[in-house]
Amino acid sequence: MARVEREATAVRYDPTGMLAHYRRECHRFLRLWRQTLFPPVLTATLYVLVFGKSLGSQIREIDGFTYVQYIFPGLLIMGVINNSYANVATSLYVARTERFIEDLLTSPLSYFEMVLAYIGGSMTRGLLISVLTMTIGIFLIGLTPAHPILFFVTILSVTLLFASLGTLAALWATSWDNVNMFVNFVITPLTFLGGVFYSIEMLPEPFKTASRFNPMFYVINAVRHSVLGASDVPFLLSIGLLAPLALGLFALCVHLFRIGYRIQS
Amino acid sequence: MPDSPAIEIVDLRKRFRGVEAVRGISLRVERGEFFGLLGPNGAGKSTTLGILTGLVRRDSGRADVLGLDVERDYRVVRRRIGLAPQELNFDRFLTIEDVLMYQGGYFGLDRRRAKQRAGELLEEFGLSAKRRETIRSLSGGMKRRLLIAKALVHEPEIIILDEPTAGVDVELRHQLWSTLRELNRQGTTVLLTTHYIEEAEALCERVAIIDHGEIVATDSPRSLIAQEGTGAIEITFEEPIDDVPPPLCDWSPLIDGRRLTLHVKDPGRRIGETMAVLQATSRTIQDVSMRQANLEDVFIHLTGHTIDGKASDGPS
Repeated sequence: MARVEREATAVRYDPTGMLAHYRRECHRFLRLWRQTLFPPVLTATLYVLVFGKSLGSQIREIDGFTYVQYIFPGLLIMGVINNSYANVATSLYVARTERFIEDLLTSPLSYFEMVLAYIGGSMTRGLLISVLTMTIGIFLIGLTPAHPILFFVTILSVTLLFASLGTLAALWATSWDNVNMFVNFVITPLTFLGGVFYSIEMLPEPFKTASRFNPMFYVINAVRHSVLGASDVPFLLSIGLLAPLALGLFALCVHLFRIGYRIQS
Repeated sequence: MPDSPAIEIVDLRKRFRGVEAVRGISLRVERGEFFGLLGPNGAGKSTTLGILTGLVRRDSGRADVLGLDVERDYRVVRRRIGLAPQELNFDRFLTIEDVLMYQGGYFGLDRRRAKQRAGELLEEFGLSAKRRETIRSLSGGMKRRLLIAKALVHEPEIIILDEPTAGVDVELRHQLWSTLRELNRQGTTVLLTTHYIEEAEALCERVAIIDHGEIVATDSPRSLIAQEGTGAIEITFEEPIDDVPPPLCDWSPLIDGRRLTLHVKDPGRRIGETMAVLQATSRTIQDVSMRQANLEDVFIHLTGHTIDGKASDGPS
């Protein structure tokens, strides 16, 4: 009897269901590319033009880079952060409130696969934006990643981190205000104060020390190191903080799906 | 487990914010059976289906599908169930074909097979012409058909439908009935909830009557009528009435304006007694009719109210 039960309940691993949901997530943002992919790339281009051609020439070099080159990794990661967060936050929140998440919840996907597919879609959008923005950097300011592998690892960690945050926000939110609140009041201020537009070496105390308690400081410096080869803190310290945090938040998302937090009654 | 029933629920309980929506329900649906859960809105039907399909977590009790626990073995169980929910919940940006293809993908169909299956179902449900359009272009009836097509995309052994004909016109209702009968004839177990008495009577081999989170009777509609059923005497007065002569209060009287319905076991034998009581009052009778018992009478007899919640005007 026990053997029969084991046979009946054993599921040969088949990723088809998870890949179907991943494709659905990618389909959503690719269909709306004018709203999802184009704006962050346009924004980065405008920053490059404004700081490169007008204001940038008035500001001295930092660590041997022109001002526009110095801020470019931060501009790139701002687009990546916002989009990897927004993709899953929007998609999951709408699916939850309009209740078509029931299609997924009544499917044979495991809760881990459900989360991975949602977050995979967000990470893909973030990766695409990083590639498109980097291409702008190559053509407009002659900047290529100093450490391509570290660049890839950084983008993976950052997209995982912010897609997980987007998932948490979508589960917790009870209105669109809630979904956007985290971006408007946490991510954007911390990003601007994390050194996108300056090196913390330029700050007086106590702001210099305070910046080290801002998690976005490590995000910006990880990507700055991978693109420029220079940053305010060692790469290993930045990635050593980011990657475990991203994995921890991902695990939390899976746990919340497993217990049905705000998706099951 | 080949000998296990399609669905077996034992002492199932679920409470929402202090209100017990499901209060110790037990039922068994055999493989290949057409089974109905009949009850008013808020009786606990959708919650029970939600527990079976993974949308609701039970508080206690057992819920097995094909011998497997719906929570412990959820991946295997869900692969073998198709659900058509009550609400018309769709991703409004997907085309009709995409809705079915992604659904097929969730259940393990590769893209080629999912497209083929979507094509078959669109044809079968008369939606082929709309395949490239989004949900917004569909009428309510078309959406209802698409919901059922979606539940069938992976050819499940059990199909669970929550109020499948709620809000559809009579013609579509009969079309859907015939689709469900055909599915059942081919061997699919069908479990549906409904608050349409005639639907349960027309389709289901067995019916469980559910009220206030409890099952009050389970049997075939014919047996329920034979055991519990009372026929009815309907009297129409010239003027509206607001009370029932005391001798008639024991017959689950129901007042609707000028009409009084009395639920009695054998209306033919009770008509004389009824007329004698009414003639002793000063009311003018316009019309009197009798009918044999149906499932609605059984429902009223067992629950003390109609399926749309209207209370009987006397002791039941």
